[in-house]
Amino acid sequence: MGQARQPRRIQACDGELGAAIARAQDGDEAAFALAYRIVQPGLLGYLHGLVGNDAEDVASDAWLEIARDLGRFKGDGAGFRGWTATIARHRALDHLRRQRVRPRAGGTEQDVLHLPGPHNTYDQALESLSTERALELVRGLPRDQAEAVLLRVVMGLDGPATARVLGKRPGAVRTAAHRGLKRLARQLGVGGKADADVTDEASRTLGESK
Amino acid sequence: MGERLSGDGVPVRHRHGHPDGTVSGPPDVQDSATLETALTAALRADHLDPRAEQQALAAFRSAAHGSTGARRARTRRCDDWRRPEERRIRRPMRMTFGVAFASLALGGVAVAAIGSADRADTGRGTTHPSTAASDQPGGTASSASSDRPEPTDHPSRAQDTEAHCRAYEQVGKHGKALNATAWQQLVTAAGGQDKVATYCSEQLTRATATPNRTTGAGKPGKGPANADSGATGDTGASGNGTSGTGASGADPGGTHNATGNGQVSGGTGQASGGTGSGKHQ
Repeated sequence: MGQARQPRRIQACDGELGAAIARAQDGDEAAFALAYRIVQPGLLGYLHGLVGNDAEDVASDAWLEIARDLGRFKGDGAGFRGWTATIARHRALDHLRRQRVRPRAGGTEQDVLHLPGPHNTYDQALESLSTERALELVRGLPRDQAEAVLLRVVMGLDGPATARVLGKRPGAVRTAAHRGLKRLARQLGVGGKADADVTDEASRTLGESK
Repeated sequence: MGERLSGDGVPVRHRHGHPDGTVSGPPDVQDSATLETALTAALRADHLDPRAEQQALAAFRSAAHGSTGARRARTRRCDDWRRPEERRIRRPMRMTFGVAFASLALGGVAVAAIGSADRADTGRGTTHPSTAASDQPGGTASSASSDRPEPTDHPSRAQDTEAHCRAYEQVGKHGKALNATAWQQLVTAAGGQDKVATYCSEQLTRATATPNRTTGAGKPGKGPANADSGATGDTGASGNGTSGTGASGADPGGTHNATGNGQVSGGTGQASGGTGSGKHQ
């Protein structure tokens, strides 16, 4: 099914992306367009999680900077995803500072609260997971968890790259991502049976030990 | 960690791929893998605005990549997303260059310091080579080292006096330098202001007589002119002037000999007979 291939595709494009970046740095506009199309879906998803409906604006700001500083960039496709994520994040934080709006915007409470939805199984819940619903859930997370989850799941960054984007230690980022995913799973109904009464701490140690 | 793997997409497995729910690995891993997959699909934007793409491309065009401008822009640390091992290769290279450059610079300074120290030594110890040289031919010129003061105590006091005397000749009547303490000492040592000249000539004769005595070289009038030369040449130079007063038969060959290196040629002059006046011109 298409959904299953999604995460693999993020990294599968890295070779292509790296080559495109190299050509774009030499002035190839078509290569830059290709890089844009590879990176933009994840970047927009990440920005949606950070700034909501202003994601498009922030993304275009970010691309201005990416296009301007492309000559400075050094690295491969995976590195480019991390680099663009860093730039987009800075633009997003600027945007939030200007707006004085907290990244977890209000307005999602009613959805987040009536949680374990009408689905009878976890898989059904996941399969019918809409973009809006997923965004609501992610934006309902604490900020560090939401960002860690987004960078990893949507931008396809690995642990060290995520940590670099967020300016934190890899261990802290891994923990945040794990907790965030745990919490999302619980909200989607899967956690109910297994670890409803297991605290976050306990499940984290469980997670770390495996 | 299991989720790292699932992030790479390799072990993504679905629970419903196993009808009885028997899956390898803890349910946590499966759950989070499935969850991440679903989140990825839901959160990644599947529709891209073509206008936004055009904007980005326009920005790319105006940034003028390629041979000019941005290509040459310096890569900041935040722009360097190469893998750590790749970066680590460069860093030692840069460090190696830095260390090599620093050692070269320090070496240069050290070499320069050695050179200046040598020069300082020859400047201070002008009499030592001539002493040694004068001792050697002392066999042929028997009186060479007989009345010479001991070389060891010579530089300390006698050389001071010499220096003062030479400066006295130079400064002469003009200037107030004669009021300085050193001059007062000189005057005291000479026993009166008007006796300084005599005293000085005695001193200088004694100090520099040895290298030049046998040769007797040096044109009488050259003494004061010699005093103008640098510190290294001074000892021999004024010595020639004073000692040469008694020498009528100046050796012409000596005047051309070794214009720069007065002391050394003064010493060797003993053997050749007459080159001791090499300081002249």
